[in-house]
Amino acid sequence: MNHTPADQPQPAPTADAPRNGYTINGKLYFAEPQPGQCLRTFLRERGVFGVKKGCDQGDCGACTVWLDGTPVHSCLMPAFRAAGREVTTVEGLAPPDGSLHPVQQAFLGAQAFQCSFCTAGMMMTCAALTDAQKEDMPQALKGNLCRCTGYRAIADAMHGRAEIAEDIAGEACGASVPSPLAHAIVTGEARYTMDVAMEGMLHLKVLRSPHAHARIRAIGRDRAMAVPGVAAIFTWEDVPRRLYSTATHEDHLVDPDDSYMLDNVVRFAGQRVAAVVAETEAAAEAACRLLEVEYEILPAVFDPVAAMAPGAPRIHDERGEERGNIYADIHGEIGSVAEGFASADAVHEMTYSTSRVQHVHLETHGSIAWQGEDGRVHIRTSTQAPFIAKQKLCHLFGLRPSDVHVFTERVGGGFGGKQEMISEDLCLLAALKTGRPVQWEFTREEQFIGATTRHQMTTRVKLGARRDGTLTAIELHVVSNTGAYGGHASETLGASLGGPMTAYRCPNKKAAGYAVYTNMVPGGGFRGYGSSQTAFAIECAIDELARLLGIDPFAMRRKNMILPGDWIESAWNDPSDVDFGSYGLDQCLDFVEGALAKGGGLPKPEGEEWAEGTGVALAMLECGPPTEHRSGAQMRLLPDGSYHLAVGSTEMGNGSITSHRQIAASLLSARADRIAIVNADTDLAPYDTGTFASTGTVVAGQAVRMAAEAMRDSILGFARRHTGADCRLDDNAVICGNERVGLAELYAIGTRAGHHFEAKRKSYLSLRSVAFNVQGIRLAVHRATGEIRILHSVHGADIGRLINPMQCRGQIEGSIAMGIGWALTEQMVYDAEGRMVNPALRNYRIPSYADVPPTEVFFADTYDRIGPLGAKSQGECAINPVAPAIANALADATGVRFPHLPLLPDRIFAKLAPHA
Amino acid sequence: MKAAAFNYARAASVDEAVQMLVRGGGGAKLLAGGQSLLPALNLRLMSLDLLVDITGIAALRGIRVEGGTLKIGAMTRHADLLTSPEIAAHAPLLAKAIAHVAHPAIRNRGTIGGNLAHADPASELPACMLALGATLVIQGPSGQRRVQAADFFLGLYQTALAPDEILIAIELPALASGERAFFHEYARRMGDYAIVGLAAQGKPAGDRIDALRLVYFGVGERAGSCPAAARILQQRHSPAILAEAQAALAADLQPQNDHQASAAMRLHLARTLLARCVNELLGRAEASA
Repeated sequence: MNHTPADQPQPAPTADAPRNGYTINGKLYFAEPQPGQCLRTFLRERGVFGVKKGCDQGDCGACTVWLDGTPVHSCLMPAFRAAGREVTTVEGLAPPDGSLHPVQQAFLGAQAFQCSFCTAGMMMTCAALTDAQKEDMPQALKGNLCRCTGYRAIADAMHGRAEIAEDIAGEACGASVPSPLAHAIVTGEARYTMDVAMEGMLHLKVLRSPHAHARIRAIGRDRAMAVPGVAAIFTWEDVPRRLYSTATHEDHLVDPDDSYMLDNVVRFAGQRVAAVVAETEAAAEAACRLLEVEYEILPAVFDPVAAMAPGAPRIHDERGEERGNIYADIHGEIGSVAEGFASADAVHEMTYSTSRVQHVHLETHGSIAWQGEDGRVHIRTSTQAPFIAKQKLCHLFGLRPSDVHVFTERVGGGFGGKQEMISEDLCLLAALKTGRPVQWEFTREEQFIGATTRHQMTTRVKLGARRDGTLTAIELHVVSNTGAYGGHASETLGASLGGPMTAYRCPNKKAAGYAVYTNMVPGGGFRGYGSSQTAFAIECAIDELARLLGIDPFAMRRKNMILPGDWIESAWNDPSDVDFGSYGLDQCLDFVEGALAKGGGLPKPEGEEWAEGTGVALAMLECGPPTEHRSGAQMRLLPDGSYHLAVGSTEMGNGSITSHRQIAASLLSARADRIAIVNADTDLAPYDTGTFASTGTVVAGQAVRMAAEAMRDSILGFARRHTGADCRLDDNAVICGNERVGLAELYAIGTRAGHHFEAKRKSYLSLRSVAFNVQGIRLAVHRATGEIRILHSVHGADIGRLINPMQCRGQIEGSIAMGIGWALTEQMVYDAEGRMVNPALRNYRIPSYADVPPTEVFFADTYDRIGPLGAKSQGECAINPVAPAIANALADATGVRFPHLPLLPDRIFAKLAPHA
Repeated sequence: MKAAAFNYARAASVDEAVQMLVRGGGGAKLLAGGQSLLPALNLRLMSLDLLVDITGIAALRGIRVEGGTLKIGAMTRHADLLTSPEIAAHAPLLAKAIAHVAHPAIRNRGTIGGNLAHADPASELPACMLALGATLVIQGPSGQRRVQAADFFLGLYQTALAPDEILIAIELPALASGERAFFHEYARRMGDYAIVGLAAQGKPAGDRIDALRLVYFGVGERAGSCPAAARILQQRHSPAILAEAQAALAADLQPQNDHQASAAMRLHLARTLLARCVNELLGRAEASA
C-alpha cells in the first residue's frame, strides 16, 4: 500500500483523539477508512499483518484484536468504529521492553501452534481471559478455531505446561526443540502469503458459476468495466487455450489434462467463469457482480452411479463414448475370492459411504504475481508444491523455466488442499497482461465451492472368514465421485484399494474401483488420500464380521493383521517397492487395548438414555506415494561458522523446517539454531516434488540427511587434511586431536585453499516403508437426541523414531481432531441443483476446542531402517482409524451399524429413537 | 470478501438517529453491535447507503430495576448482561440464555436490542422475551410506543419495527417469588445454532406448575409459545399429564425439515426438552423420557 505521509504513525496519542485518529498498538494514525471497510483490512493496510483473515464472518477468530482492551473480531467491525479508540493487535501484546507477554511465553513453551495462522487471534483471546473464564476453556475459546493442533497444545499453554527441550549440540534429533520461527509466530512477525504490501497492487476477484453444468454463450463486460478502478476483465476467450490438471504430482500423466484456466463450459456450481482485476478488492467484487453471463443450461448429474448409467449427461464429451463418465477404473484379484467365500463360515457384506469434506486450512488459497525488474515473473503463493506449480505455469503460458520464480512464505495449513494449482495461474495471467502486481485471496466461501474436497466414496465390502476368525476372502468395490475434474482421482482410487486391504493377510482378495466424473466440486488430495475412505469401510466390516463370529475386535485384528515377513500386497500381482523398514502394529494394538481396559477419560453421563460403547480400528500407510517423488537439499558452511540449509519442501504447519534442521544438526553435532533454513523457493532451494503423500520426512528429510552427511564429510575431510589429526565436529568447531578449530576459522582457511564447504544431495523415494496407527474410542450416545460424546480417546502410532516428539504428538492430535470432525460434525450440504447451501464455517462445523477430547498418544518403540535416522511418515496416517473407531464404538453402544458418514444426530435419531 | 461501500454516521441521540433513518429512506439502517449485520454486509447479502451507529448513545445502555420491572437499554451488550447481578437476580432465564449466545468476542460487541431487532429464528433471546412477557419500547418519528413481545416477532427476520423506528429498551417483569426459569438447547455442537431450544418460566406449586410459559426456538420461522401444553401442565403432575402435554406440542409447533434435523426429530426433541423442563421446575430427578 502506498501510504500518504499523514498515514504514518504520529507521536504520542492525545487524551482526546480526533475523529479520524486511530491508536494502533500505542501509535496514533490519522487516516480515513474507505467506505464499507472493516477494521481488519484497515489494520492490514497500516502494515499490521498479525491480524489474519480466516472467514470474514466472525466464526474463526483469526482476526481477533482488542478494542480498548476487549477482544473483538476485527472483521465484524466497521473501521470507523475504532476511531478515537485504542486497538491492540498481537504486535502490541508484548511489553515494550522486548520481553514477551506471559501468554506469548506460554504458547512458545508449549509450541501451541502448527501452521500458526490462528495463533495471533488465539493469543489475543487467551490474554484477555479472566481467571473465571480460564476455568472453562471450551467456552472461552468457542470463537477461535484451530485446524492443526487438535487444541491439546493450546490447552497445555493455558495450563502453563512448557515442554520445549534445550537445544544441545548433537542431540537435536529426538528432542522437542522449538520451531525456528517460534518467536516470530508468537510476536506476529511471521509472514504469510498475503502479508505484504506492494506498490501498484491490483486485486483479482472471480465470478463463479451458479450452475452445475452450462455452456457460456456470451459474457457482457460493459457494465463491469464501467466500475471505477477496474483494470481488466478476463474470460475464457482471453486465456491460453491449453489443457492441464490443477492437481500437482511429479508425473503429470497421473492426472488428466481436463481443465482450462477459464472455460466456455462450466461443470460444477462454483467453477470460475471470469476474472476481474481492479484497484481495490471491493471494486473487483462489485464488477464481478455486474458481468452479464448468458448461460445455456445443460443437464447435470451429481451421483456417480447415475453418472455411469447409459444416457447420463456427459461431463467431458470429448472423451470416448465407451468410457462415458468413468475417468478411471482399477481391477485386481489375487487368489480366488469365489473360492474364499465358498470356504467361509461367515460372510459380511455391506455398503459403506464416506462424505465429502473440505480441508479448511485457516489460511485460504492465495497468490501474488508480478513482473520483476529482473525481467522474470515472481509468484508468491500458498502451495504445497511450488516446483510443480512453476512447471504448470511454464506449460500454460509458454514461459521458460528460468523466467519463472515461485515461492512460499509461511503457509497457513494445507492438508492436501494446496496440492493443487488454483490461484497462481490467474494472478500470473493478470500480471502479464497489466504489467502490475496482482493478488488474489480466496474467500472462505470460495474454499468450499471453488477449491477441492475429499473424494466422496461409496464402498461395498464383502468379507469371509472361518469360524476361528481367519479371513478367507476380501472383496472391495469402490465408487469414487471425483466431481467435474479428475485431479487426484486415479491416485486416490489406487490408495483406496491399497493400505486398508493390505493391512490384512488373506490369500484371496479382489478389488474393483471406479472414479467417476459428476457435476460436483472436484475431489482433490486430502490427508489420508483415498485410504481414509476405505479404511472406514473395511474397519467397520471387520468389526461386523467379528460380531457375527463372536470374536473380540482386537482378537479378530490380531488374527489377521499383516506381520513382518509377509508379502505386502493388496489385490495386485505386481511386486511393489514397499517393505517393512520397521513394524509396530502389535505394540499399537496392545497399547490401545490396555489403555481402554484401564479406564481413564470421562465417566458415562448419568441417565439411562445414554448408551456406552468402545471401538477400535487400525490403519496401515505406505510411507510415500507409489508415484515418483524426489527432493533435494543443499548445505553451505557460512563464513561465520554457521550453516545454511536449503530444502525445496514446503512447510505448511507440518513442522518440516523444524525437523529438517534437527536432522542436519544431529549429523553435524551442532545445535539446531546454528542452522538457518530456507525452503520452498524455486530460486533458492533445490527441486522438490512437493510436501504431500507423507514425504516431508521420508523424502525431503532423507535428502537433508544425505546433504548433512556430505557436509560433515566435507568439513572433516578438509580438517583432517589440514591438521593431519583425526577430527570430529563439536557444535561450532572441529576437534582435531587436542586442537579445537572454530568453524569460522576453518572456513577461512579452507576457502583460501580452494575448498568448497558445500554439499547437495537428492533423494528419490524407493524403497518405501510402512507405518501404522491404531485408534481406540469409548463414547456415549444419547438415544433420544443422537448426541455423541467421546469419553476416552487413545491412539497408538508406529511412526518410527520421533525426530521431534512434541511435534509428532501434535501431528497425531491434529489428525485425530480432523478425523473426529469428519466422523461427527462436518458436512457439505447441497441442494438439488448441486449448489452448496452451507459454505461457511458457522454451519460447516470444524471441531472447536469443546469438541476435541484429549487423546492419550502412545508411540511404538521402532526404528525404521529405510527412513532417515529411523523415522518414517509422521503426520498423515493418524486420521485413518479415527472415524471407523468412532463408528465401531457407536455400533457397540447401540447394537446398530451406522455405515454412512457423518454420524449426525438426526441419522442416529432416525434409527434409535422410540418415536421415530 | 468485501462489503459494498457504505457511509457511516454516529448518532448522538435517539432523536438524531430517527432523523437519520427518516432522511435515509430505505437505504439507511441502524448499526448496533454489528455481529449479524456485518457478516451479511461482508457477504454482500445486503448493501446499504448509510449505517447509523447508535451504540454511542448513553441513554440506550444500562440495566436498572424500577419497582417490579427490569429495564434494559437496547444497546446493552451481551457480555454486560451475562455479568449483571440485576439480570442474575431478576431475570435468571436471560442469564442462562445469554451464555449460549455465540461466543465471547461476539458477546463483547453484540447487543440485546440488535439481537431482538434481527429476529433470527434460531436465536435464544426472542424466545426469552416471549417467555418473560417482555415489553419492547420503540421510538419513531411520531414518538414512543410499547409493543408486547408476542406482537413484536412476526416471522423469519421480521419484526413490528418500521424502517424508521428504533428499539430503545426492553422491560421485563422481575422474577416473582416462587417463579423458576428453565433454559436448555440441543445443538449439534457447542456454540452451534440450536436444533431445538426451550425457554420457560413458571411457578411450581406442589405437583403443578402455574403461570407456565413455554417458548421453543429453532423450531419454525420464529420462537413459538405453547399455551396448550402449558395449560395441561397446570394439572397435578403425572406421567399421563406429561405425555398429554408432550402430545399437545404438535398443535403449537410447526417444526421445519432442514439439513440439521427432520421435523419429526425436532418434535421429538421438543418433547424431550419438555420432560426435562417439567422435572427441573418441579425439582424432580430426571425420569426416563
